[in-house]
Amino acid sequence: MKPPILIIIMATIMTGTMIVMLSSHWLLIWIGFEMNMLAIIPILMKKYNPRAMEASTKYFLTQATASMLLMMGVTINLLYSGQWVVSKISNPIASIMMTTALTMKLGLSPFHFWVPEVTQGITLMSGMILLTWQKIAPMSILYQISPSINTNLLMLMALTSVLVGGWGGLNQTQLRKIMAYSSIAHMGWMAAIITYNPTMMVLNLTLYILMTLSTFMLFMLNSSTTTLSLSHMWNKFPLITSMILILMLSLGGLPPLSGFIPKWMIIQELTKNNMIIIPTLMAITALLNLYFYLRLTYSTALTMFPSTNNMKMKWQFEYTKKATLLPPLIITSTMLLPLTPMLSVLD
Amino acid sequence: MALVLKFLNGTYIFRKCPKPNVASCPFLGTHFVDYCSSSLQKPVAAPGKTSSQRNSEGDLQGHHQREAALDITSPEEKPLVSFDKAIKDEIKDQFRRLKDDIVNHWIGPEGRPLHEVLLEQAKVVWQFRGKEDLDKWMVTSDKTIGGRSEVFLKMGRNNQSALLYGTLSSEAPKDGESGRSGYCAMISRIPRGPFERKRAYDWSQFNTLYLRVRGDGRPWMVNIREDTDIVQRKNQMYSYFMFTRGGPYWQEVKIPFSKFFYSNQGRIRDAQYQLLLDKISSIGFTLADKVDGPFFLEIDFIGVFTDPAHTEEFAYENSPELNPRLFK
Repeated sequence: MKPPILIIIMATIMTGTMIVMLSSHWLLIWIGFEMNMLAIIPILMKKYNPRAMEASTKYFLTQATASMLLMMGVTINLLYSGQWVVSKISNPIASIMMTTALTMKLGLSPFHFWVPEVTQGITLMSGMILLTWQKIAPMSILYQISPSINTNLLMLMALTSVLVGGWGGLNQTQLRKIMAYSSIAHMGWMAAIITYNPTMMVLNLTLYILMTLSTFMLFMLNSSTTTLSLSHMWNKFPLITSMILILMLSLGGLPPLSGFIPKWMIIQELTKNNMIIIPTLMAITALLNLYFYLRLTYSTALTMFPSTNNMKMKWQFEYTKKATLLPPLIITSTMLLPLTPMLSVLD
Repeated sequence: MALVLKFLNGTYIFRKCPKPNVASCPFLGTHFVDYCSSSLQKPVAAPGKTSSQRNSEGDLQGHHQREAALDITSPEEKPLVSFDKAIKDEIKDQFRRLKDDIVNHWIGPEGRPLHEVLLEQAKVVWQFRGKEDLDKWMVTSDKTIGGRSEVFLKMGRNNQSALLYGTLSSEAPKDGESGRSGYCAMISRIPRGPFERKRAYDWSQFNTLYLRVRGDGRPWMVNIREDTDIVQRKNQMYSYFMFTRGGPYWQEVKIPFSKFFYSNQGRIRDAQYQLLLDKISSIGFTLADKVDGPFFLEIDFIGVFTDPAHTEEFAYENSPELNPRLFK
């Protein structure tokens, strides 16, 4: 793609998300969603092959359906409240429709089927944008309407998302699908806390984006799309291999890494709201996620898989790919746990 | 819809009649009666004559008739037709598959531990050792469009291979619209999970297709289709040639996946794309060399393996003159 065209498209994606986040008028929010969706389609189809076209088609159909549902919810809300401003939604039907639409955009269960298929069909760069940047806009609207959301519905979606994300990612060998199921599970954690403490959702989203960005950038450095190619990384980039180890454990939510912060905070908030069974189930289901992250780590960093090249250590050669901002991203993704006491300023 | 078809299959025939080929596989179960009754009416070849005719090519037809004769059930063994039993068996089968799916999902990819899958360098995907292996394939020819080619699939000698044989005829059907004809194909059925859910093969860690075949010197086309959910991609496939030697010795054909070229609706496209190996739906062998007459292809097994010497990712280039949009 020519640089001017790429710049315009990326600017449109960012503008669309900004419009959604900064608007208080429902129509403008919908316009922002549409701009964002239409602009990202050429990014998804950057590598022009039939699989990418199928992935883009699936993404477009899902997002367009969600936008239609959102518009329907907005229209019903307009009918009952008489206003376009984003405020408390009094009508339960409008609230449920908007929640359903936004969860469809995020890829929460039971609207999660498109996430692994679309992520698998696109490049690593496009997948990174899809699983990080594209979550910001719907999450910001969920944040704004959080007092009006049906708690039971969202909690059910959250629980099923965590289950689906853990179970679905279990025996995957394709890295993009693993990250897609990881996204579904993390979205589930965010959805669980949004009605009780939306600020925790923002914290979880921030840390999730940092960890996912770092992981994708490490995969792009090695051009790995399968577990097998990742397991040959020890031969080429031993330092990157050890970074993957730490990042996977952080994604799995193990202390003393950053990924533990959102899980800890969310379980604490849920127990403060007299919920015992749901956070227990979520914590137990998170073990499934940890299992497949650990399996990835085992084959990548903890074992020296037999490689096909004749050289014992290929790392003697310099790698030519640039890893912009990778060191600060890895540090923020893994070493923020000691800063947890600072979260008291959010209260 | 697939489940309904399976029920109709199960209720009427109850696995006693031979499975019909795609050419005569209509939608409704009642038509299977016609197929069975027509095979019952075919003349039965005398057993003494078949041994002397075995070596000539013409008795492939007689062999088929003998095959048909062997499949005719004697009056004492009438096919058991029971609707309730068939439905119960089908439901049990589907739930057993669901249970296996859940257990295999827990164990690892394809029901095997992950380290075993990652360390694997060669895998036999299809082999022909019994009748149940033939059920994973279907044969088709231009008979579906009114042509005169015939194709059959049966087990080879000692149940160690599959024999695909028949007669190719390039005589175009006289329907006023077809100008060309003459093809026969053998296509693998799409793997199905519980409740007939479509599945795909993941061959992403292999890079070469390995076939052990014995042919008659004819050129075949190996076609691979990817798994897809959109109807526009149903006609897309990736193909390469397989030239058979025709001798009495087995031939080992190795085709790297990087060599497969892309075609859509039967036409090779200017814009070529790499075959992505993580969602393979089916493989097929097609004969369409415009040479009328009998043919045969014996297949021992079809496998995939990693050839460490083969580092090519994609054999074809796209040209900016032919496809400028790919270079924008």
